[in-house]
Amino acid sequence: MVTHEEILKVANLAKLSVAPEELDGLTEDMNEIIRFADTVGEAAADAGEFDNINGLFNVFREDAVAPSYDREEILHNAPCAEDGYFLVRRRG
Amino acid sequence: MGKYGTIARLHARLEKKEISCTELTKAYLGAIGKENGGLNAYVKVTPEIALDTAAKVDAKLAAGESLSPLEGIPMTLKDNISTKGVETTCCSKMLRGYIPVYDAAVWKALKAQNAVLLGKTNMDEFAMGSSCETSCFGGAKNPRDRSRVAGGSSGGAAAAVSAGLAAYALGSDTGGSIRQPASFCGVVGFKPTYGAVSRYGLIAYASSFDQIGPIAPSVEDAALVYDAISAYDPMDSTCSGSREPVCSALGNGVRGKRIGVAKEFFDGVRPDVAKALADAADVFRALGAQIVEFSLPPVKYCVPVYYILACAEASSNLGRYDGIRYGYRTEHYADRNDMVCKTRSEGFGAEVKRRILLGTYVLSAGYYDAYYKKAQSLRGAIVRSFDAAFRKCDVILAPTVPTTAFPEHYAAKDPVETYLTDICTVPANIAGLPGISVPCGRGGDGMPVGMQLIGPKFSEAALLCAANQYELAARETATGATGTGVGL
Repeated sequence: MVTHEEILKVANLAKLSVAPEELDGLTEDMNEIIRFADTVGEAAADAGEFDNINGLFNVFREDAVAPSYDREEILHNAPCAEDGYFLVRRRG
Repeated sequence: MGKYGTIARLHARLEKKEISCTELTKAYLGAIGKENGGLNAYVKVTPEIALDTAAKVDAKLAAGESLSPLEGIPMTLKDNISTKGVETTCCSKMLRGYIPVYDAAVWKALKAQNAVLLGKTNMDEFAMGSSCETSCFGGAKNPRDRSRVAGGSSGGAAAAVSAGLAAYALGSDTGGSIRQPASFCGVVGFKPTYGAVSRYGLIAYASSFDQIGPIAPSVEDAALVYDAISAYDPMDSTCSGSREPVCSALGNGVRGKRIGVAKEFFDGVRPDVAKALADAADVFRALGAQIVEFSLPPVKYCVPVYYILACAEASSNLGRYDGIRYGYRTEHYADRNDMVCKTRSEGFGAEVKRRILLGTYVLSAGYYDAYYKKAQSLRGAIVRSFDAAFRKCDVILAPTVPTTAFPEHYAAKDPVETYLTDICTVPANIAGLPGISVPCGRGGDGMPVGMQLIGPKFSEAALLCAANQYELAARETATGATGTGVGL
C-alpha cells in the first residue's frame, strides 16, 4: 500500500506539487498501478542480469569546435530573458 | 509496385503533369479546412510552408526535371517531431508556443526532397495515452465513426491519413503509438527496429523504446517513406540506419515462409477480432506460407515491465521542463523550487503526472531493486524469448489491439484497465523489434481490425514484404478498399 505520505515524498522528488483535493484520487490510482507493477515480482528470479537490450555501444567523435545555434534564437523560447541570459526572478 | 500505393499514384500524376503540385496541395488544404473542425486531426496547419514547397516542385516540373519518390507529396508530422520555426507542442500546455531552433533528422531528410508539410498532428500529451484524449487540444476523432477515438498516441496522424487529409504521416511509437491508432483508423502503421530511424529532434518520452515511423494508406507507401527516413545519423548515437532498402523487396513472395502464432497474444482478444486474425492466417496459408504455433510465456509480463521502465525513463526525460529555458512558467511563486514545482504541476496534465510519479517511485531508494531492476532483468528474458521464437518462425502474426476503437470518453475503471489494452503492441518496443499493423477486415461493430506482424531486428525487408503480400491478396478479395479521401 502506498500512503499519502509516500505520494507526497515522491511528488517532492519529482518536483510536482499535489493539491490536497487531488491526494485521495492520486493515491488510489497509484495503488492500483503499483499493485499491477507488483506482478513482475511473481516472475522467476533467475531471469538474468541487466542486458544491453538494444545492442548499444559507445560512439565517439573528434572533440572539434563546430558552429552551434544562435543564442538569440534559443533565448526566444525562454519565458524570461535579459542581456543574453535566461532570467528567473527570486520570486514571482 | 504502384498498383495500390497512394504516393506512387500521386507521384505519377505529378510527373505526367496531370495535376500541379500547387493544385494537389490546395486540394489537401481544402479537405483539411472542411474536415478538420470535426476530426481535430491537425493541431496546426502550415499552408504557407506547404504552398512554398509546392511552388518549388512546380518550378522543377516546369524545367523538365524528374522528381524523387516523395517530392511534392503532401504529408504531416506528429507534434512531437521538431520543426524549425514551426510551433511544436507535444500537445501539452507545457510546450505551447515552443518554436524549435532545429529540424528533427527525419524532417530534415524529407524536407530535402521537398516533402510538402501540411501541418502538425494531434497526439496524447507527450505521447502518453492510448486514445489521443490526453491532448491539451482535445482528442482526435475516428474518421470511420466520429463517436469513437482515433487511438493513441499518434491519433491525429492516423485520423489524417484515414480521412485522406495527408498522403502519409510520421508518428512515433513507444508502446504502440503508431500501430494502435493505425489499427483503429484502418490504415497501415509501421514501427521500425529500434535504431533504424534517427530519433534526433523527437521530443523524448522513453528513450530506449521511442521510435519514429510512417502511417500510410498502404504497405507500399509505408515502405517508400521508411526508405527515405532510415539512415545512419551521427546526432543519434543509437541510430545505425536501415540494413537494406525495403521497396525493392516488396514483391518477393511468402511461399515457404513460417508465420508464427503465439497463443499469449490471443488471450483476452475479443472473438470478432480473433476471427479476423484467423482469416488473415488463412490468407497467408493460401499464399503458400506455413502457420507455426508456439507459446511465448513472458508476453504476460510485458505490460507491467513496459510501464515500469517507460515511466522510469519518462521521469528522467521530463525533468528538463523546469520553466527556465523554454515552455510554460507559472506566474506566482515564493522561491525557485516553488517556481519549478508550480510550473510542472500546472503545465503537465494528469496522465503525464501519474507516469512521472510512477517512474520516480520505481527508481527511488527501497523500490529500485523490486521494480526497476526486476523489470530490466525481465526485459532481457523477453528479448531472449523472442530470439528463440524467431528460430521457429520468420514473422510473428498477432492482433494489434485486442479490440476495435473505443468509444469517446470511455471511462476505464482505473488507469491499469487502459494500460492493458497495450498488451499486443508493447512486446515489440520492449525487444526493439520492427512491427507493422495492416488492416484485416472489420469487427462485429463494423470498425477496422488491425493485424500486426513482428519480425526480428532489422528484418524490415522481409517484414514489409509479408505485409505487402497479405495486403495485395486481401484487397483482391475484399470489398471497398480505402480511397484517398480528397478525390484524387
